[in-house]
Amino acid sequence: MTKGVLLFCFNTPDCDYHRILQRCVRLIRKNLRLEITVVTDFDTYTKMSPMGHVNYKFIEPELGNSKNGSEWRNVDRHMSYELSPYDTTLVMDIDYLPFSDNLRQYLDTDYDFLISKDAHDLTGRSSFDLRRFSMIDMVWATVFVFKKSAKAKRIFDMIKYVKNYYSYFVELYRIRDRRFRNDYAFAIALEQANGFLTYDTLPVRLPTLPPDCRIVDIDDVGLTWQYGDQINQTQGQDVHVLNKELVNV
Amino acid sequence: MDISELKRQSDLSYDIAIAKRNALEKAHSRLVLVYNEHIFRADAQTISLVKTLHETNTAPFYVLDTNENPVEISDPAEFIKTLIARNQEVLGAYHQICKTFQKRGD
Repeated sequence: MTKGVLLFCFNTPDCDYHRILQRCVRLIRKNLRLEITVVTDFDTYTKMSPMGHVNYKFIEPELGNSKNGSEWRNVDRHMSYELSPYDTTLVMDIDYLPFSDNLRQYLDTDYDFLISKDAHDLTGRSSFDLRRFSMIDMVWATVFVFKKSAKAKRIFDMIKYVKNYYSYFVELYRIRDRRFRNDYAFAIALEQANGFLTYDTLPVRLPTLPPDCRIVDIDDVGLTWQYGDQINQTQGQDVHVLNKELVNV
Repeated sequence: MDISELKRQSDLSYDIAIAKRNALEKAHSRLVLVYNEHIFRADAQTISLVKTLHETNTAPFYVLDTNENPVEISDPAEFIKTLIARNQEVLGAYHQICKTFQKRGD
């Protein structure tokens, strides 16, 4: 049984995501100790520094999505099943920084597909508790685990279907955010594929720093952030950093 | 105590409260463990349940994982040992962090 991490990384005109990727890869190697495959395009690949043994899969990212006026190349996550070379795969956003080995154990379960439904706001403002801006619970497609199995294949087929008819599902579920979001596409597909009842989840809340937090310092054990006049830090705890200025730290 | 000192103390208390909340969340994440291909929390409830079942039933017995799926426990002694080891590793680390908060608040 092969196990590994699948990462998606595409630079945009506004953000050199490959610099975030390099930090993420270093932490995966240190803490998760798993094989890594990066899905990228050739332009992004040419900007990457050598990162040791990493597998690459080249695709042309689907364009057309945007966030805060900038290009947002996030649409290809539905291809994880086909792109992963592993029997069991951990898919992570590259801005999810694994300062612990907590995620590693989830590759050793009997589950076909696991995803988290909750996030923990590290600034203490509970920013993510009021995100029920739809008729469906959102999941966080930031981190998920799947096996190459018939059930997982069904889920990904359903994600593709939801993606193809996303504008319809946005209306159906009255989702306020009109952009394509993997979080909603996955949530809808999981509900549809699991008989509109329940599905298996990771029993953890993803520690998350909202976009208005500035990263002051970061090293291999943790990071320090500033929000307003408050400075705080965490060590040995995974962090999902939403402020893309992380590139410049 | 003048108002600026009160504000400084208030800011410090806030910082400590946030750091403590994050440390507790970190502990909760770490309490989760995979055993026998299923996911459990090594918390007081799980430890008490498994210990009670171990004392009153002969193995194997069955418990629910975090997704409410039944899991056969055939070696309860080993499971309890694993749960307690993780529980005390996590709470020991949390205890150490809380000590640093006390120092900051002095």
